Amino acid sequence: MLNYKNRILALFIIAALLSVSFTVVHAQDECNFEGEPIRIGATGPLSAPGTVLAGIDMQWAFNIAEADLNAPPNCGIELDGVQHPVEVIFGDTEGLPERGAAVADRLINENGVVALTGEYHSAVGLSMMDVAVEANIPTVFSETFSDQITAQQAPNTFRIAPTSTIASSAISEWLISLEPEDVVIIAENTDFGTGIAESTQANLEAAGVNVEVIFVELGTQDFLPILSRIQAGDPPDAIHTTGVTGETNLNLVQQMAELGLAPTEDTICIANQVAITPEFWETVPDGNYCVFRKIGLGPASYNEIAQSLADRYNETFGSAAQSWVFESYDSLFIIADAIERAGSTDPDAVIEALEATDITLAQGRYYFPFGLNNPVPEDVPEWMWHQWPDPAVTVLQYFEEGQSGDEAAILWPEVRQTHGTSYIVPGTTP
Amino acid sequence: MSRQQQGMVLLAVISVILLILPQTNLLGNNYRVTLIRDGFFYAILASSWALLAGVSGQFSFGHMAFMAIGAYTAGILGRDGVAIIGLAGGEIHPLMTIIAGTIMAGFVGFIIGVLLLRLRAAYLALFTIAFSELIRIGLITEFQFTGGSNGLEFRPLFASTSARLDYYIMFVLLVVSLAVMYSLSNSRFGMFLRAIREDEEAAAAMGVDIVRYKVLIFVITSAIVGLAGGVFYHQVGIITPNSIVLLQMSLVIAYAVIGGMESLLGATVGAFVSRIVIELLREIPIGTTITIGDFSLGPTIEPGAWRFALFGLIMIITLRFARNGLLYAIIQWFSERHVAIEQTVSKRVTDPAPEEVAS
Amino acid sequence: MHAIILIWLLLAGPVWAAVGALRLPRQYHRRGLDSSQSSYVGTLAGLVAGPFALYYLWQKTPSLSRRAMVSLFIAALAELFIIFALFFPDNLCATNHTYVTQQVLNGLTIGTIYALMAIGLTLIYSIQGVVSFAHGQFYMVGGYASLFFLDAAAEDVGIELNPVWGIIVAGFVTMAIGILFERFFLRPMHTGQIERAREYAILITFGFGFFMEYTTLATIGPQPHRAGRFIQTASLRLEPLTVGDTPLLGRLIFQPNRLASGLIAVLLIAALVYFLQRTWTGRGLRAVSMDKQAAAVTGINPLGMNTLAFGIGTMLAGMSGAALVPIFDWVPWVGAAAATRSYVVVVLGGLGSVPGALLGGLVLGVVEALGSGCYPNPSKGASYIQAFGLVIFAVVLLLKPTGLFGRKL
Repeated sequence: MLNYKNRILALFIIAALLSVSFTVVHAQDECNFEGEPIRIGATGPLSAPGTVLAGIDMQWAFNIAEADLNAPPNCGIELDGVQHPVEVIFGDTEGLPERGAAVADRLINENGVVALTGEYHSAVGLSMMDVAVEANIPTVFSETFSDQITAQQAPNTFRIAPTSTIASSAISEWLISLEPEDVVIIAENTDFGTGIAESTQANLEAAGVNVEVIFVELGTQDFLPILSRIQAGDPPDAIHTTGVTGETNLNLVQQMAELGLAPTEDTICIANQVAITPEFWETVPDGNYCVFRKIGLGPASYNEIAQSLADRYNETFGSAAQSWVFESYDSLFIIADAIERAGSTDPDAVIEALEATDITLAQGRYYFPFGLNNPVPEDVPEWMWHQWPDPAVTVLQYFEEGQSGDEAAILWPEVRQTHGTSYIVPGTTP
Repeated sequence: MSRQQQGMVLLAVISVILLILPQTNLLGNNYRVTLIRDGFFYAILASSWALLAGVSGQFSFGHMAFMAIGAYTAGILGRDGVAIIGLAGGEIHPLMTIIAGTIMAGFVGFIIGVLLLRLRAAYLALFTIAFSELIRIGLITEFQFTGGSNGLEFRPLFASTSARLDYYIMFVLLVVSLAVMYSLSNSRFGMFLRAIREDEEAAAAMGVDIVRYKVLIFVITSAIVGLAGGVFYHQVGIITPNSIVLLQMSLVIAYAVIGGMESLLGATVGAFVSRIVIELLREIPIGTTITIGDFSLGPTIEPGAWRFALFGLIMIITLRFARNGLLYAIIQWFSERHVAIEQTVSKRVTDPAPEEVAS
Repeated sequence: MHAIILIWLLLAGPVWAAVGALRLPRQYHRRGLDSSQSSYVGTLAGLVAGPFALYYLWQKTPSLSRRAMVSLFIAALAELFIIFALFFPDNLCATNHTYVTQQVLNGLTIGTIYALMAIGLTLIYSIQGVVSFAHGQFYMVGGYASLFFLDAAAEDVGIELNPVWGIIVAGFVTMAIGILFERFFLRPMHTGQIERAREYAILITFGFGFFMEYTTLATIGPQPHRAGRFIQTASLRLEPLTVGDTPLLGRLIFQPNRLASGLIAVLLIAALVYFLQRTWTGRGLRAVSMDKQAAAVTGINPLGMNTLAFGIGTMLAGMSGAALVPIFDWVPWVGAAAATRSYVVVVLGGLGSVPGALLGGLVLGVVEALGSGCYPNPSKGASYIQAFGLVIFAVVLLLKPTGLFGRKL
């Protein structure tokens, strides 16, 4: 019997040693921290079916922001004269709403974070809100578009990404300015896709455009049957696919292009914003002249913070940083700034401080015009609650094979046009 | 004490520990309570699959689909039931919808059981994969009705609910379903099922009503997982079609195999432990450590994927070398060594051969 | 007239089909005849001609030749088409035959690759009696092997190779993995070391596939990749076909890249058939698939043949992956959907039958193309693309589990 017990004890000791050896040791730096670390939870998709391309970038940006915050001159967060280091705990939400709720639960209850930030998928963000609102944990969403997130007017919820109304109306406005007759919208059958399809359809139909909507399943490989179906009729003036995300969109756009359906002289090709990533030209070699949307500023308008971040991103990944990199980086600084001004990690104090945010970071000057102290007026959409009103949205178009997203021509809004035209007909150069 | 008595005492002790655990401060917070509750849920799934596949030899890959049928039926009734039945101002209690979901899962289990009568082994596995995928594609595509990828939301089971209450409900559900399955598997019914698994023709020749038993086992296991699914997703609050992707089914199978798929208890313990381990492994940040200055990051190394790879590996090794499951193998290893040591000691006492002592 | 046909087709057809499916086998059984095909024939006969055909079958119980079954099948298809056309007169599939031709041709092209992959699965089954549930993952690994080889050639050696070379490399890589797996995990099954081998085979292949998929995801990551093209030309447009003044077909559009991969699949299938029919080893394989004991007596080592068959099967899966990597984006989870397609194909053609898998692959390609292209609600047709194959699969499994060319269960 004794031997039996000893063996079990030995097993326990081995397990304990293993778990200790797995504990991550953070590198020391020059700041002199006396206080306990302040933990902030960040989330993003690191596994399929989430958009992993963005999740990896976001995790990188949060790590960089954490390192920058804990290095001089910031040296963490100062509360009552004591320097506290910031510790970011990143949770993988896999793009699944139920995972989002579980991860938020874990970050808040198990890891004891004082604020949440990040996230890419709106459905995940919405389910995280259920947990965060109940626990009254201040939350700054970095890259979730759904209007619902701020339209619910939860006291703890802030957002620096554009709302989907702001983002999708840019494409719709631009498209309407070209006066198309008929448009085919292809969207994934998720809340994101159906939301984009409905709002775009409503906008376009209000302008007298004939719209046909086709839903596809995320992860579909072969789109030929449905594309042939579109091709059998008269070619539409535009095929709008911003409602299909990630790798599925790249697959779809390449098959569209290879088939000679769009982009052609007759038909405009509108890809998802994933077209801005370097993977675009590897997986969509025929995608020249496709149009896509970009959130955030172009390199020409980068400030010092943005330039430094973009350079470091380029060093690590060898490509240009996307909007979610800047948004993630900035949202951690916004939270740290609010905690410091609040003088404590008490949720209500932090929320109060967040409402009074006035800080200039990589994407520009952040502020939240409407909130508890200044309710959203009748004539302003309700999603303006705790919403940064100034995210830049531009419509871009590739016109040379292999060019980077930053070299693409800006088509919309008109004041930012780089090549003096709002559409480059395939086969021509501006 | 005999072997069996020892086992019973051990079981009783574990049950009491699990009962007291949420009341102590050992778990500390809701997250860990919820984690163990998830362990209970997967234990129900794995043990009922072990009854279906391990004990009865009906190799179904559609187990999670039955779970989803129970959960979705309950959820959709909870959402639209009032409108369907036409109650004015009333509300259907979640318990009623869960019962409806259980019946629905059992009913579909009956139909599938009847359809599958003629199919064996590989054909049965193929058909149930197809069935499960069809259900999943249907759930995603008819999003106006099912909520699609966005998920279907559930009302909470009771007006006031807590993680601890959910824990106890799931625990009771696990104990009850295990008791039901145990009594089934140790009765004549279980004996017939094993006879069918070993040799269907021989069993039929001996007068076992194959049709009845094969259909019945499908109905029972489907109803159990339908019930568990209905209760679990009322607690979680949302279900998406991703809950029945092949990965989820693979995990349940891996848990059952690791625990020992021919023993209900083995599968239960295997699933319970594996589920908690797989959740805890999520937090090991392999490749995400950073060093300031000389920056290093491993963006392609994901703990999320590695832990699944690890489980796949454990599963095939268990299958190849410890067919009765790791749990059984470990117990055997301990008791054999125990016996071996005792034997060696007694051997030394009785027959102290000098060369043996020297070695 | 329309209404009568419609009511007949809608109500009477399915009812009589059900009667035929359930009742006819009993009659055959009662008369001591082979009842294995009667449920299938009963269904089709009931669907097409209702009580008249069933009465005839009931009275005469004729022996069911393959020709009768095929003509009944075609009649049932025609009937389904008429129902479809009556219900959805504006659907492209009912009005535009060029469109239908286009979809059928597209389906046949992709179908050859489905067939190539499924032949691997069916070959393994015919020799080993095992359905490999890791087949999709071998397909996925084949695609990555090709990608890595092409990448390495381009970056380290500086030669831009045609993806065709990747197919060969992928074949070797997946064959090596397959042989190793067979040697260590499946062979014990044939030497009597494993109880209940059939269940073991399902689980062990399933577990290995699971392991391969997540190891790939963990080491390579989830970013999508794609290889270069087989042929660097844009889409091919065939001019409308007219005979005299009557237009026969409108303009057809093809993608040379897809045609190339279809052609490669055809060549590989031809090579395999040559190997099985004309070489000594191939004949040995066929001998083992027919009768293990007899083959062993003539000096063929069944264990070696088992390993060889598994190796060739996984090689075909890997090659079909490599043939598709220039066409679709490649991510670690592409295997699951492809494997499901292979299961549909082998069951359609009959497990263990190579010609059956070939035919099954083509049929599935066409069914998916037409299903997705003709589904009445265009906004949902694309979402259901996999479902069409699965429905056919379930129906075949239930009505005629032996498939088109299968042996008795």
